[in-house]
Amino acid sequence: MSYALIVAETRRGIFEERNLDSIGICALLGKETAILLPDGQYSFNEKLVDSIIRVKADEEVFLNPLNMTAIIEKVSEARGRPDLIVFTHSSSGAESAAYAAGLFGFPVITDVSGYDKERGIFFKSYYSDKLFGEFKTTGGATAVLTVRSGSFKEFAAEKAAAPREEVVEGITASDSRTFVEYVEEEKTDIDITKADFLLSVGRGVGNKDEIPAYEELAGLLKAVISGSRPVIDKMWLPKARQVGTSGKTVKPKVYLAMGISGAFQHIAGMKDADCIIAINKDAEAPIFQYAHYGIVADMHKVRDALKGVLKG
Amino acid sequence: MNILVFTKRVPATQEEELRLINDGKDVDFSKLPFKVNDWDNYAVEEAVKIVEKGGGAVTAVSIGNTESDEVLRRAIAMGAKDGFLVEVDQALHDPFARGALIRNFIRKESIPFDVIFTGVQSEDDQFASVGGILAALLKLPYVSMVVGIDSVAKDHMVVRRELEGGLQERVRVTTPCVLSIQSGINEPRYVSIMGIRKASKVERKSFKGIEYDAGKESHIELVKWVYPPKKGGAQMLGGELPDICKKLMEILKEKGVYQ
Ligand SMILES: Cc1cc2nc3c(=O)[nH]c(=O)nc-3n(C[C@H](O)[C@H](O)[C@H](O)COP(=O)(O)OP(=O)(O)OC[C@H]3O[C@@H](n4cnc5c(N)ncnc54)[C@H](O)[C@@H]3O)c2cc1C
Ligand SMILES: Nc1ncnc2c1ncn2[C@@H]1O[C@H](COP(=O)(O)O)[C@@H](O)[C@H]1O
Repeated sequence: MSYALIVAETRRGIFEERNLDSIGICALLGKETAILLPDGQYSFNEKLVDSIIRVKADEEVFLNPLNMTAIIEKVSEARGRPDLIVFTHSSSGAESAAYAAGLFGFPVITDVSGYDKERGIFFKSYYSDKLFGEFKTTGGATAVLTVRSGSFKEFAAEKAAAPREEVVEGITASDSRTFVEYVEEEKTDIDITKADFLLSVGRGVGNKDEIPAYEELAGLLKAVISGSRPVIDKMWLPKARQVGTSGKTVKPKVYLAMGISGAFQHIAGMKDADCIIAINKDAEAPIFQYAHYGIVADMHKVRDALKGVLKG
Repeated sequence: MNILVFTKRVPATQEEELRLINDGKDVDFSKLPFKVNDWDNYAVEEAVKIVEKGGGAVTAVSIGNTESDEVLRRAIAMGAKDGFLVEVDQALHDPFARGALIRNFIRKESIPFDVIFTGVQSEDDQFASVGGILAALLKLPYVSMVVGIDSVAKDHMVVRRELEGGLQERVRVTTPCVLSIQSGINEPRYVSIMGIRKASKVERKSFKGIEYDAGKESHIELVKWVYPPKKGGAQMLGGELPDICKKLMEILKEKGVYQ
């Protein structure tokens, strides 16, 4: 029986919303779908899939590529090899997808954000969304995909019948890689998720010495300053100020992005802001696709001009 | 500890317009500057730091054309002992093909290592896959998105990997293993032109990819490149700076975030 296997991503008991994109791409491909879940109670619309395969393993065991490949092997033994194995393009999804592809010798395409059904082509981002590559798998083996969140969820549709339930047992957790504990981010007094107005700076800021002038501008505008990952990696701003998948998801009234290109990991953290204004010297910067207003200019010049206006 | 670290030469595209040529079969790179893949810069730094503290040696490996020698010299300037270039005349777009080539190279040349570092992802292709594929092909444990190495013991390491929203997980992994290193894990040292010039005097070894069946184990095909689908797009504010500022302030007032 041909089917697509979806590896659900769960985190500390939560069924992640981005699994809907995994379900969506399977629907678009017209596949019968089975979703793999670790132990626990997960709340989601179960009618969206044909089968639910519950794995008798803790979430931390499940989300370990060494164990995930053993789980996939068991599932394949029980119900035959899937045509497609779908993960979310996230920290754990991308990790297990690549490992599974390597172990089983399957083709892998990651960060898939589009599919052309007629041509059997998967679209994947290159150069931080400046180009897309059109890919197809060669040979008949199972394809492994990771899908970009927000790309396919609208295709997820309820099935006529309630899902069948299956169970996978007897997974021995690998001892070459073991979970020790979660490490939480340090609490800080500033919470950028609560701000109405964020002034966010990206790598285009150039160097650390420019930061104080942006802080001053933020002060004059009564905005809170935040940044993209490179600015935080370089420690020009503290970690709590990072916007994006590995930082904070923000939803301010206004998000003013200066010198940020618009990589998906950043966009995912701010795309739901009421109003996005982007300033970038590159007219082709992908962020202009998501912004409501755009300004093609040198961010430093805009900063200085604005400061001039605000100081009267 | 002997660390094998992978480093890739990539085009710097952030501020450049990318032009497709030959009906999308190729991208015109002729006018673009090239640089070291940002993530690999962090990986090299982490490898060098570990060796400086605990002994051993770092070997940097790059797959690409002869110009990739540039990132090997850079790695040597940062503290790597050796630089190996596995030469391929055509970019291998399939990460599986790259993983398989690396496995064949390591096996055939009996390259010794205790740990392999890759970057989390290539800036150009963003597959974030070569490390995981390689680990599986070598039957080694794998940890991706490593943002901290807490301890290095004889037979294992304790590392932290990044999840989402600021959350991390601490894991214990036995060595030998493959780790993919995430940006921000350290502060990569500054490399001067002088340093790179000095590194040029250290001999780098060059290998021919064809000896290791480069490209043979490929499972996906890049049909062509296309420009991304246009979404709504922003309303562009043009004019001279004072006009732009005026319009910007009007928007802020209208949205109620500035009085
Ligand atoms: C697992 C993972 C998680 C990640 N998590 C996050 C995350 O949480 N948040 C995040 O932001 N990123 C994250 N990233 C990184 C992301 O992929 C991008 O690398 C990053 O968002 C790029 O940041 P940037 O736009 O500031 O820099 P760049 O992409 O380098 O863009 C800089 C921009 O500045 C412009 N510019 C330069 N100079 C000027 C000037 N003088 N005036 C105006 N514009 C100028 C350029 O044209 C360019 O568009 C993650 C990546 C991975 C792999
Ligand atoms: N051509 C290459 N040469 C050297 N290292 C590479 C190459 N391609 C990928 N890598 C390594 O694998 C990591 C992940 O790459 P990717 O799977 O292409 O995103 C990179 O950060 C590099 O460390």
